[in-house]
Amino acid sequence: MFEHDFLALFPEIFLINATIILLIYGVVFSTSKKYDYPPLVCNVSWLGLLSVLITILLVASSTPLTVANLFYNNLIIDNFTYFCQIFLLVSTASTIIMCLGYFKEESLNAFESIVLILLSTCSMLFMISAYDLIAMYLAIELQSLCFYVIAASKRDSEFSTEAGLKYFILGAFSSGILLFGCSMIYGFTGVTNFEELAKIFTGYEITLFGAQSSGIFMGILFIAVGFLFKITAVPFHMWAPDVYEGSPTLVTAFFSIAPKISILANMVRVFIYSFYDPTWQQLFFFCSIASMILGALAAMAQNKVKRLLAYSSIGHVGYLFIGFSCGTIEGIQSLLIGVFIYVLMTINVFAIVLALRQNRFKYIADCGALAKTNPILAITLSITMFSYAGIPPLAGFCSKFYLFFAALGCGAYLLALIGVVTSVISCFYYIRFVKIIYSDTPKKWILYKTMDREKSLLLAITLFFITFFSLYPSPLFLVTHQMALSLSF
Amino acid sequence: MEFAPICVYLVISLLFSLILIGVSFLFASSPNSAYPEKLSAYECGFDPFDDARSRFDIRFYLVSILFIIFDLEVTFLFPWAVSLNKIGLFGFWSMIVFLLILTIGFLYEWKKGALDWE
Repeated sequence: MFEHDFLALFPEIFLINATIILLIYGVVFSTSKKYDYPPLVCNVSWLGLLSVLITILLVASSTPLTVANLFYNNLIIDNFTYFCQIFLLVSTASTIIMCLGYFKEESLNAFESIVLILLSTCSMLFMISAYDLIAMYLAIELQSLCFYVIAASKRDSEFSTEAGLKYFILGAFSSGILLFGCSMIYGFTGVTNFEELAKIFTGYEITLFGAQSSGIFMGILFIAVGFLFKITAVPFHMWAPDVYEGSPTLVTAFFSIAPKISILANMVRVFIYSFYDPTWQQLFFFCSIASMILGALAAMAQNKVKRLLAYSSIGHVGYLFIGFSCGTIEGIQSLLIGVFIYVLMTINVFAIVLALRQNRFKYIADCGALAKTNPILAITLSITMFSYAGIPPLAGFCSKFYLFFAALGCGAYLLALIGVVTSVISCFYYIRFVKIIYSDTPKKWILYKTMDREKSLLLAITLFFITFFSLYPSPLFLVTHQMALSLSF
Repeated sequence: MEFAPICVYLVISLLFSLILIGVSFLFASSPNSAYPEKLSAYECGFDPFDDARSRFDIRFYLVSILFIIFDLEVTFLFPWAVSLNKIGLFGFWSMIVFLLILTIGFLYEWKKGALDWE
């Protein structure tokens, strides 16, 4: 029983075991009097990075071109999950790399945050491959529980505690909504498996006042709302700016990078594969428009870096939803390209924010005269901001262009129009960074310490990617096309 | 249906305890003998020294959280225990894995000092 299933789940099993061993190692040695109670956080994070890298190898070494249903159809492994998992693990690894220096500077001695990051990574792996409403919900909950804890991990900061509490309450609320949707779906169909749901919903007109059940309509609506909460799409975004600003910077980085991949992967699986229907598309259509507009307008009024990045991520979720609300292969493909490029840009920006945090890099004005004190970093930040804004030769332009192209291809002209307009508006605050860096002379010059090697490598790699992506975009296009295909058939 | 006697039993015991409380009121010699000294808090004969509010010890929370966790563990153990002859070795080992994970959590608490009570 299940021999092959355990074999297929080897990466997850390895990651769980590594996490457990790290937990025991950390707690035994950090409380040992013999070694003078060492702060093990750097040590544990290097080992955690190593175990994430080994997990990447394990995932990558399994053959991608198969479809396997595991554990009575609770989990699935196919091309889509394969690439999503690798991408998720890479982004987790880069988050850990980013925060290696952070712990040292902050003298934050909680090695548990690394253990929790690993644990939530594992749950996100399960989330990507979830193929059943119950498995999906359990994975989401495990991930959220880890997140609540690490959001409130800095106990002596009021902001962090507040962020943790806010995140916990709204996260629990959204999980409740999601769970209610799942139970409605289960109550009205009698199945929880995605494949069987897909069989039931083929050619099923889910309209509220149509001939068919309005219970299923409500179920899909609630599931959609729960997911929209999790991904911080606009009508349900209220928690995001406060949580992003309040929690410690490395946690913010992790929040804005990793869960975007896993939740979007899960959403795509649920809504494109199981509930494929034009009714829910209107919901995402609306959310997409609202997110783009709010992301563009609200970020203009921000002075704090992390808050601005939170609104910018809300705006980018709006752009990604363009691809989602098309529902075509091109739409899904452009969504995946968009996620990939968004995550890389965000890794870059947060590496910079973490590198500049010596003197509390909190306000945007703090990067004034960066062009004089650290010209290379200034260029990096400017290029990333240009890419966020969607200036032509950079990667961000390609992702937005392809998203708008998909929207035009499926006839959603309004989405493309609003996307272009909001993208132009959002140039204002992205380029404000560049203006502050190059032409402002601040009253107080802030000199930042040099960053460590790991962060600089990460920055160099992502910057190289962002700059030269448009020269050779075909691998990413091929991979995302393959992912979108494996999802649809 | 087996719950009906329990519900009846609950009602009867409620009535019975109300009677027990009420009887002492009936036979008390002087019901209005509550003077201020008698109503004051008992602090070994002295007047209270300071504010009654004090910091709450976090260890109470820790103990109750640990109780909730291990209480849940027991909830999972019950169905496993009664169906052990049906689920075979695989079922047995699945629960052992679950217990192992919980034990590791327990070990973490122990080493961290959450169980120390000075």
